[in-house]
Amino acid sequence: MNNEPERGIQRKLRKRLRVESFFKLLMAASTWLVLASLVLILAIILWKSLPALKLSMITRNPGSGYYLGREGGILNAILGSLQVVFGATLLALAIALPAVVFLTSYLRQKSWLAELIRFSLDVLWGIPSIVYGAFGFLIMITFHLRASLLAGMITVAMVELPILSRALEETIRLVPSDLKEATYSLGASRWQTATRVVLRQVFPGLVTAVLMAMGRGLGDAAAVLFTAGYTDKITTSLLQPVATLPLAIFFQLNSPFPEVQQRAYASAAILTVLVLFISLASRRLSRRLGRHKIS
Amino acid sequence: MSIQRLSRRDRGPELATAPFAFFPVALAGAIFLALLIKAWPLLSLKSLSSLIFSSTWLPSRGHFGLWPFILGTIWVTISAFVLAVPVAILTSLYLSEYAPARVKRIFQPILDLLAGLPSVIYGMWGVLIVVPLVSKYLAPFFGRQSSGYSILAASLVLALMILPTIISVSVEVLNSVPLALKEAALSLGATRFEVIRYVVMKKSFPGMLAACVLGLSRAFGETIAVLMVVGNVPAIPRSLFSPAYPLPALLANNYGEMMSIPGYESALNLAALLLLVIVVGFSLLARWYLVRISRRSS
Amino acid sequence: MNQTSRLRVENLNVFYGQNHVLKNISLSLPDNRITVIIGPSGCGKTTLLRSLNRLLDEQEGVRVEGRVFLDGQDIYQPGVDITLVRKRMGLLSQKPQVLPMSIYDNVAFGPRLLGLRDRRHLDDLVEKYLRLAGLWEEVKGRLQEPASRLSIGQQQRLCLARGLAVEPEVILGDEPTSALDPQSSRNVETQLLNLKENYTIVLVTHILRQARRLADYVAFLYFGELIEFGPASEVLISPRDSRTRAYITGEIS
Ligand SMILES: Nc1ncnc2c1ncn2[C@@H]1O[C@H](COP(=O)(O)OP(=O)(O)OP(=O)(O)O)[C@@H](O)[C@H]1O
Ligand SMILES: [Mg+2]
Repeated sequence: MNNEPERGIQRKLRKRLRVESFFKLLMAASTWLVLASLVLILAIILWKSLPALKLSMITRNPGSGYYLGREGGILNAILGSLQVVFGATLLALAIALPAVVFLTSYLRQKSWLAELIRFSLDVLWGIPSIVYGAFGFLIMITFHLRASLLAGMITVAMVELPILSRALEETIRLVPSDLKEATYSLGASRWQTATRVVLRQVFPGLVTAVLMAMGRGLGDAAAVLFTAGYTDKITTSLLQPVATLPLAIFFQLNSPFPEVQQRAYASAAILTVLVLFISLASRRLSRRLGRHKIS
Repeated sequence: MSIQRLSRRDRGPELATAPFAFFPVALAGAIFLALLIKAWPLLSLKSLSSLIFSSTWLPSRGHFGLWPFILGTIWVTISAFVLAVPVAILTSLYLSEYAPARVKRIFQPILDLLAGLPSVIYGMWGVLIVVPLVSKYLAPFFGRQSSGYSILAASLVLALMILPTIISVSVEVLNSVPLALKEAALSLGATRFEVIRYVVMKKSFPGMLAACVLGLSRAFGETIAVLMVVGNVPAIPRSLFSPAYPLPALLANNYGEMMSIPGYESALNLAALLLLVIVVGFSLLARWYLVRISRRSS
Repeated sequence: MNQTSRLRVENLNVFYGQNHVLKNISLSLPDNRITVIIGPSGCGKTTLLRSLNRLLDEQEGVRVEGRVFLDGQDIYQPGVDITLVRKRMGLLSQKPQVLPMSIYDNVAFGPRLLGLRDRRHLDDLVEKYLRLAGLWEEVKGRLQEPASRLSIGQQQRLCLARGLAVEPEVILGDEPTSALDPQSSRNVETQLLNLKENYTIVLVTHILRQARRLADYVAFLYFGELIEFGPASEVLISPRDSRTRAYITGEIS
């Protein structure tokens, strides 16, 4: 054995290990930087919102003089956001589900029609929500609608549609094709296969997709900005304007009164809690519902 | 059971679901057409290039130069991207290749939550923290004056906002690199970092790129968070510390009440159309490229 | 005959969490011979193999106790450099794992890590090891193609060449032919038989006939214990332990 190359290798190895430690350090540093800044966001919202976080925030509507710092809450916006989001998600689901079933069960995957539909979904997916907001507004003025719960719901549904479709398609595509064939060979029609077997298989994915779309719809301010309007009351009809949480935060934050600004922080905390709830629920549900899945 | 009977029984549901599948096609077309029709009055008066490349924005005098807004959009998006991508790549590599399971368990739910956090909250955080940071510390450090409402503030907020998305998608991509492949490289005497550099990165390049594109297209269209910290001044931006006025902010601030001035409505619809074309064109380009490389590598 | 062993295992215990997977294994792997490890599924063969070049360290929640000596040095001592240990042992896995690069770069990967840059020298090495793995004639015209285009059998031989190119002393194989067709399996087996003159080879296999064809020595593992170890002729033909006999006659699998 000659020792010269051995020693060269040793020296190079020390250098390689130094490079490794350097990058590892860099990666760890950036990870902790990211974690710290993200946790900082949550911490600051919580800390800033503490002075204004009273029970009345979620149990009362804005009273008179609320925007000057007097009594009241944002129950109107909380309920309004939920109304908009539930309606929008139902609407989006009512379109996305049959569309995706058609796309995955009735079309050959490489046909031009399937390509066209997929392409359109990609296009829709890329469209910023402010553009949907603008389009929703154009529809509104065309049909002489006022800014209303209905208009807001339709616009948010458009935002959610591509998100929902893409997630659904992905989960459906993961269904093993053996399973589909096994069902066909039992004499089931495509429809029966799609509804009884495939849907049951994808149910966990469906739930996560719906919750994800809801989360997105809940926080989207740009889509409701021109279409949903704003009101200090609780909305009881589809044609009345409706308050939403993101806009409540936005408006209160622009107020010159510190008390009102503090309530913006509190509203942000409430919105965060709602989103947190959705994200936890989707984790929990997809785990629980996934038990019977064949993989 | 004959194929024919099977398919006859299936006709009904097929016909019932088909219209829904055409809905996305119709919607995409309708949005494009509606904006085009609404923008047409202005487009028939002036050439598209004069509208895009002129930098005078004086609606009351009939000047509708969109260049400052386009530049604002590009500046903010690109700087956010440049800030976010290296950090996202380093972080996702750390999370997938080095981090102990405990760290991953802490990180995952936080990333999920923050990826879904509404943009108005990021914007709020920007107003509270980033804007003062820029005006009090960063700008003076570089010898400049800034109100803090600036491209830099917007891109910092935006970068932070798209980070969770990019990171969680990238981690998923990285985790799909087979363990056995990494072990093969390790057993040739590679260090972990060399495995990452020569094997993992190469294997997951298309997926990582897709993750970044996802973040980028989200950044392009982001409205509220940017609007809150970018200053909204319709002038050509001079530096990272100057304010800007990206297209989405222009729309958000003016779209609802644009009726009185002639041509104004058209100009705003043109702005929306431009935004649409930029974002969609960009994401289609990226998609096409991704398909191409994934075809080449398989 | 008195066999020397540069690779020795002493009182090795491996735990996955609470699960005691390898129980007090002691084993000397004879130089320049093929040692085949057999045993029913889940008995710890892969684990034993991976403990030899410390790939087990890459997993979380694994605890290794005991010692593995390579040329008299305990590779589990702190301060031992893992990359150098691994460089001295080539690994063939169940499914061939070609790196996402060209055929040439796959073979040159190891030497390049060690700092070899000279193109001519690399060319020579690539050719030498592709020949040694019996692949040169098939790929010499297409060295720059992605390695993933090769057939599975060719890929496995490429992995062999790639492993040889870092000049290991030991070759570890975890059922290296299980994903291959019979012809390719034979091909890999032939290469292994040719290589044993210069390398210490440790092979895990499920196929008893393959063990008979290749083994000089056989180790039989059962539920994490080493039941029997000795020359192939003894273990495979007249095993001392009843469990070994049962396995070899196919009563347990
Ligand atoms: N990563 C792991 N985590 C927990 N337990 C593991 C892990 N890998 C293996 N085991 C367990 O360790 C035991 C030995 O596994 P090992 O893979 O070594 O068996 P094997 O003999 O190679 O089996 P096979 O012939 O099927 O490949 C098994 O009981 C297995 O369940
Ligand atoms: Mg095994």
